[in-house]
Amino acid sequence: MLLGKIRSNGLTRRQLLQWLRTISTGAVVVGPLSACRELWERQPVVPVESWHKAVCRFCGTGCGIQIGVSEGRVVDVKGDEYAHNKGRLCIKGLLNRDILYTRDRALYPMVRHNGELRRASWEEAMGLVAKKFREAIEQFGPDSVAFYGSGQLFTQESYTANKLFKAGIGTNNVEGNPRLCMASAASAYISVFGKDEPMGCYQDIEAADCFFIAGSNMAECHPVLWERVKDRKSSRPETRIIVVDPRRTSTAKGADLHLDILPGTDVALYNAMIHEFIGGGFVDQDMVEHYLSFKEGDSARDYQDLKRHVNRYAPKRVAATCGIAAKDISTAAFRFASSNSTMSFWTMGLNQQSQGTVANRLVMAMHLLTGQIGRPGATPFSLTGQPNAGGGVRDTGALAHALPNGRLVANPRDRREMEELWGLPEGQISAKSGYHTLALFEAMERGDVKCCLVMGTNPAQSLPNAERYRPAMDKTFLVVADAFHPTETTQFADVLLPAAMWAEKEGVFSQSERRYHLVPKVVDSPGEARSDLEILLELAERLGHEDLISSRTPEEVWEEWRKISAHSKYNFSGITYERLKRERGVLWPCPDKSHPGTCRRYVPGEDPLAHGNARFDFYGQPDGRAVVWLGDQHNPKEPTSAEFPLVLTTGRVLEHWHTMTITGKLEALQEIRPNFVQIHPADAARLGIRDGAEVIVRSRRGQAAFIAQVSETIRPGVVFTTFHSAKHLINRVTNDVYDPLSKQPEYKLCAVSIKPKGTTNASA
Amino acid sequence: MRVHNGRLARSRFRLVLSLLAFNCDRLLGATTAQHGLTAGELMRGVGLFAAIAGILILFLVEFLWRPRLQPSTYRWLLFVGLLLLPITLLLGVTTTLFEETKTVGSCASCHVMDPFVNDMMDPESPTLAAEHFRNKWISDHQCYACHTTYGVHGTLAAKRDGFRHWWLYVTGTWNKPIQYSGSYPNSNCRACHEGTVKFEEVKSHQALWLDLETDRLSCFSCHGPPHPGPKEQEVSAGNQ
Repeated sequence: MLLGKIRSNGLTRRQLLQWLRTISTGAVVVGPLSACRELWERQPVVPVESWHKAVCRFCGTGCGIQIGVSEGRVVDVKGDEYAHNKGRLCIKGLLNRDILYTRDRALYPMVRHNGELRRASWEEAMGLVAKKFREAIEQFGPDSVAFYGSGQLFTQESYTANKLFKAGIGTNNVEGNPRLCMASAASAYISVFGKDEPMGCYQDIEAADCFFIAGSNMAECHPVLWERVKDRKSSRPETRIIVVDPRRTSTAKGADLHLDILPGTDVALYNAMIHEFIGGGFVDQDMVEHYLSFKEGDSARDYQDLKRHVNRYAPKRVAATCGIAAKDISTAAFRFASSNSTMSFWTMGLNQQSQGTVANRLVMAMHLLTGQIGRPGATPFSLTGQPNAGGGVRDTGALAHALPNGRLVANPRDRREMEELWGLPEGQISAKSGYHTLALFEAMERGDVKCCLVMGTNPAQSLPNAERYRPAMDKTFLVVADAFHPTETTQFADVLLPAAMWAEKEGVFSQSERRYHLVPKVVDSPGEARSDLEILLELAERLGHEDLISSRTPEEVWEEWRKISAHSKYNFSGITYERLKRERGVLWPCPDKSHPGTCRRYVPGEDPLAHGNARFDFYGQPDGRAVVWLGDQHNPKEPTSAEFPLVLTTGRVLEHWHTMTITGKLEALQEIRPNFVQIHPADAARLGIRDGAEVIVRSRRGQAAFIAQVSETIRPGVVFTTFHSAKHLINRVTNDVYDPLSKQPEYKLCAVSIKPKGTTNASA
Repeated sequence: MRVHNGRLARSRFRLVLSLLAFNCDRLLGATTAQHGLTAGELMRGVGLFAAIAGILILFLVEFLWRPRLQPSTYRWLLFVGLLLLPITLLLGVTTTLFEETKTVGSCASCHVMDPFVNDMMDPESPTLAAEHFRNKWISDHQCYACHTTYGVHGTLAAKRDGFRHWWLYVTGTWNKPIQYSGSYPNSNCRACHEGTVKFEEVKSHQALWLDLETDRLSCFSCHGPPHPGPKEQEVSAGNQ
């Protein structure tokens, strides 16, 4: 037929063959050429259909990322060159690419029947949750139910949970895992400046001439910020880095001066440094006269009192306590005070101890007294461990003692303000503070709390003295909303709700420098998983609070929340949802839509909320003066003894995160096993422990098995392990004493013994 | 005496070459004095020699010597003048082009590269390029060293990139900000860093090994930025 048509057009056989030859030659030459775009320019190894601006799922650095999506799946992740991290990510940030597609994702609701979790419908699961909550509230009052959230929930989710429980149900039993990591920093910021959250920003790194890094292994826990510190050192080699850490961590290896202090003695160190500031004439008298007040406990003090106070902490006197040389303390003090600009970083090393708030206050005092504050590069800066502990939990007031934007449950005026902003009748918000984290689980243990909704966290593994609180969870009607199952906590769940995670839902994070930024929904969640906001909205509806919880989308909740912030000194009403979609986040305070955001708070001219033209306006305090708190070094809560002769301290490795519910399932990280306990060769020899031997670490509370890693990176008398592994669960061993001010537990030190496996008593 | 003669011969050879070259300072300048004659420099001289010799031969053969030449000699000289010397010239030109475009100066000849070259030479810049330059980790041809994959394919790919960059520049069709196309070949980094204790002891490198080997992840993801990012490029452009 084709030939006939050709003949009818007058083509000869010869012409036909010529045509075919031309076409085939063209196909042979042009085909591969057009397909091979590599001939013109390099091509990406991973083809991506679309890129989406977002934020990393992991630590509190809050790195900007670009998510590559193809065929409805996340296929690639890269650092966002326009964000503060300038395109850099750490291994965890890069592996955001894989986190949605690991094993053990929770796919459908489950309800416990006869001791076993069985698949259920959303209707059945949520019906049961609402019924149990309603029954408990009716029978035992609102304080018989609780919410235990996370610094990994979006701001909209924590805000909604806080509002539902405090304004709707009428209980302040709203807590979250930030109590375990950031409470001491928050408590200190509020007591010193009157308002929570750091006053500086990441840009200060590029202007600092001295870094004082205490209790923070930045190189592994905030690696992108550490790279930025190293950049500063590389650009300006005379920049000094001082690291205070009992271990010779990767961070300490990059320091000019490493103070390998004994755990739990840093309050003495900071007092000794202040002693040196005073003795060396480094105290900024302008600060003392115009911008500072002094306190000790409930009493007012003055600068002379401080001088007398630190006389007891001369470096020579504290050297033995801290286990470091007096001259190193003096050198650290000199470098801190004499540099053009000093920036401090700290995190869990300061926070997770029974004197966490005192230690935090003293580091802030060091900056205030020397005037190393409020200038580019001069600032005290606490780092957060989670992507949204600051904005989600601290700023929304989603803690038992708190209300939004720095308000306190204990303050009647604060309660009334929130009642007005939320449109509640007077007295709706309970005057009784809720249970802080450990008290909450103790209340579960006693049976005072009957129902608890746990969202986005894993307390069965992360609580100190974990074994104690497991029966409490078992006893309570526990609802666990999580993206993974099983976890250590879901095994105690009566109802498991499958949660969408990260880019499967939309929401706002806030990181260490007060930057609010948006994570968009770019892919669908697996199975029947729903966002935590959807779960909370349904619970609100089923408990009859749908009128109160009227904002029903991430955008609506954000708009409500930013407008509420306008009535406070946390004002970020200028950060509209539109801006969040367009910009790489904005630092609050940001009181109007045209404001670019604030790098340095309390500095008139920079902070839109600061008034006057003086050096500072510490507007969080009634008298406009920041408070220098006098604090004494206390003896350890659990001293070492003949039976428990070593001090245990805990931490992290670069590649894993928290309780490994995410990173533990990533294929790339399977060979990185946080199963070791580090011990100094001298201790190992004395105890007959070989490198690589199986050992048991034991305390008065419990024990866990590890592989010994004999290493000089740890000082004699101290052992170190991570809290990542559920199999090697160190929180069976850690101490659940806590800071009386912040209620943050003391994970960073307790007395332990360590023995080769088989030689120790198995019962703890 | 023989040594002296050898030096004399070499210096005469250089003199001849430099006379042939239009920019003799670059031909036999400081680089030659320090490192000896490179293949590129030699071929540049040879190419120029071939060009002049070819023109000279053709002129002489066609206008002066033709009546006196045997037909076979005439054909041979034409063969030399029209084929052999042009081929030599082509080789010379190609080699010179290949060599010349390895230099930082060549990359810097397009003004759009200024932010990158200026940053690399900035003693306070924290970028990888600046750090490698400042510490002399790459002694010469710094742009080319990191932007050329090893092997013949790498050289061709680099020339392709160079040609594309040139094309985009002369046609004014490049996009701002300038960004790297495709996936960067990590083998360029691994060639020096892999196998060192510092590299091997990093567990993240072991965990991501497959991704790094296949360029699914770039070394710059964690260790960058290699050059000024889009924001810094804008600032740099604004300052000029």
